[in-house]
Amino acid sequence: MTAMTATAVGKRYRTRWAVRDCSFAVPEGKVVALVGPNGAGKSTLLRMAAGLVRPTTGELRTFGTPVDGRIHPDVSFLAQNRSLYRDLTVRELTRAVGAMNDRWSTDRVEEVLGLLAGVDHDAKVGTLSAGARTQVAIALALGRLPRLLLLDEPLSDLDPLARDETLRVIMTDVADHGTTVVMSSHLLSDLREVCDHILLIDDGRVQVDGDIEEVLAEHRVLVGPVADESAVAGTLISATRTERQSTLLLRKAEPTPAGWADTEPDLESLVMGYLRASRDRRSPARRR
Amino acid sequence: MMWVSWRRQRAQLITLLGMLVVGAGVIALLRSTMIDAITSSQLARCVTQALQDCTAPDGAAKAFQEAWTTRLNIGQAVILGLPALIGVFIGAPLFARELEQGTHVLAFTQSVRRTRWMVSKLVVALVPSLIVLIGLQYLVSWWLSAAGTLGPRKNGSFTALNFGIEHVSPVGYALFAFALGAFLGVVSRRTLAAMTAGLGAFVVARFALSGLVDRLVPAQRLEVSPATNVNVYHDGSLVLETGYLDAAGQLVSKEKAGALLQACKSTSEGTPNSQEGFLACLPQSGLSKWYASFIPKSQAWQLHLVDLAIFGGLALLLLAGTAWVLRRQS
Repeated sequence: MTAMTATAVGKRYRTRWAVRDCSFAVPEGKVVALVGPNGAGKSTLLRMAAGLVRPTTGELRTFGTPVDGRIHPDVSFLAQNRSLYRDLTVRELTRAVGAMNDRWSTDRVEEVLGLLAGVDHDAKVGTLSAGARTQVAIALALGRLPRLLLLDEPLSDLDPLARDETLRVIMTDVADHGTTVVMSSHLLSDLREVCDHILLIDDGRVQVDGDIEEVLAEHRVLVGPVADESAVAGTLISATRTERQSTLLLRKAEPTPAGWADTEPDLESLVMGYLRASRDRRSPARRR
Repeated sequence: MMWVSWRRQRAQLITLLGMLVVGAGVIALLRSTMIDAITSSQLARCVTQALQDCTAPDGAAKAFQEAWTTRLNIGQAVILGLPALIGVFIGAPLFARELEQGTHVLAFTQSVRRTRWMVSKLVVALVPSLIVLIGLQYLVSWWLSAAGTLGPRKNGSFTALNFGIEHVSPVGYALFAFALGAFLGVVSRRTLAAMTAGLGAFVVARFALSGLVDRLVPAQRLEVSPATNVNVYHDGSLVLETGYLDAAGQLVSKEKAGALLQACKSTSEGTPNSQEGFLACLPQSGLSKWYASFIPKSQAWQLHLVDLAIFGGLALLLLAGTAWVLRRQS
């Protein structure tokens, strides 16, 4: 069964398309890294899946049910701005969110908060650090006992230690309950450790969608002389050039010509390659 | 869900309760001071009797009114202004603040339905506001009745200030102001914009609709010969229309009646007419009957109910609009 399906989904804000003609499917049990440059439409896509934004075109389904202005009971959403009631204490907030749900486990929230260091239950949410607020928000998202977790920038305001803690909490949930996770982030090295699937969005469109291992195996990084670029065949994604040497990211490369060094990219260099290509497309003036 | 709304609006509810307690204390104090002033200047009989009928020391009534009319009017103005304040400070920020700060996302991504979330917020904000309003309205009314005909009540139930603070009218205005604020809040998603636009729109609508209510209650009609003394002007009735009828019972136009009245003021010789002569002249010149359509004081409650129906109906429409916008809101 697929946890989430997008069929030709598009969202237009006035004249600008935030998401355009996106189609993909997230199988159950996957941990998906949703990556792309700022403003690529990652947040809009997640908000549409959570029922907060209505698609202008196309349809989104979670667990086979169309999202129609309402979040699926098996889905939890972590908003980028965390949207918590700041004048409540952590304990009161837990009770409040529990009161807004039919299926709820306060024990699960307590358990998660117990694993995460340093969240005082009687402190007002507004007085917590940004990182602690994020952890509270994640604990509350898990309190809904979700089968699909939508996390918008879950790691953005966490220090390295808290990042590690938080990822471990999420991965424990995945291991114990087979939860499907879709998380957007710019922290590629952290994503590499936990994610097994990549969804790369740029300019509102899906650029890469697949198993990380397979996607990486499909791409090559070639380093060789600038003068000899014509010898390389394949789909060029992006290139960086110094005076003497070119570094090319290629998809479905043909056999490597002589004089070129050939390696498989890591996730970071793959995503960097796509992001660089997207930036060049947007501002061709800066291209060299 | 109710607990969530209650907890989030706790500070506001405590403020409202404080207003009620302080208001009750101030009004009780003013009332007892006023009653002392009435007793000490021997005006107690003038509270129930008209000023010209009661015996009181010279100038005492005038001195009392000079001292107390402004204070009593301020009390009335508070009740008149309270609905607008409820709309601006409670209705307008109710959803606008959540939408502005993005905290609505928390509720919208739980399993509670948006409409239920809205209703629980509305109830927790509106019911205490109405209780405070009705409480203060009752207290001011209690204070005004202690002044009786020495106070603003002598002007009858239908003056704008007296009518707007009596019976169910304030509740109607408050419902409307609150719903207007809430609606503008979800449309604009800006607290300050909703507050200012809400206040402006409420004041305009309140003035624009204030005359409507008179036309929706069946008026009584009085037809008498022009010589009869009528008391519709003195018994506190709301006189809507007056005029003259000819022998056939047809309405005489205002200009024609004016000219005929003027003609009757002098005799055929050109000397000023006597009172008897004037009254005898009227039926002869075609002004057979004088009529008035009016709403007696005893029917004032019907006007208040119509007032509630108008403003309460508008409030329901606005709340339905609020629910619709919230369901479509992203």
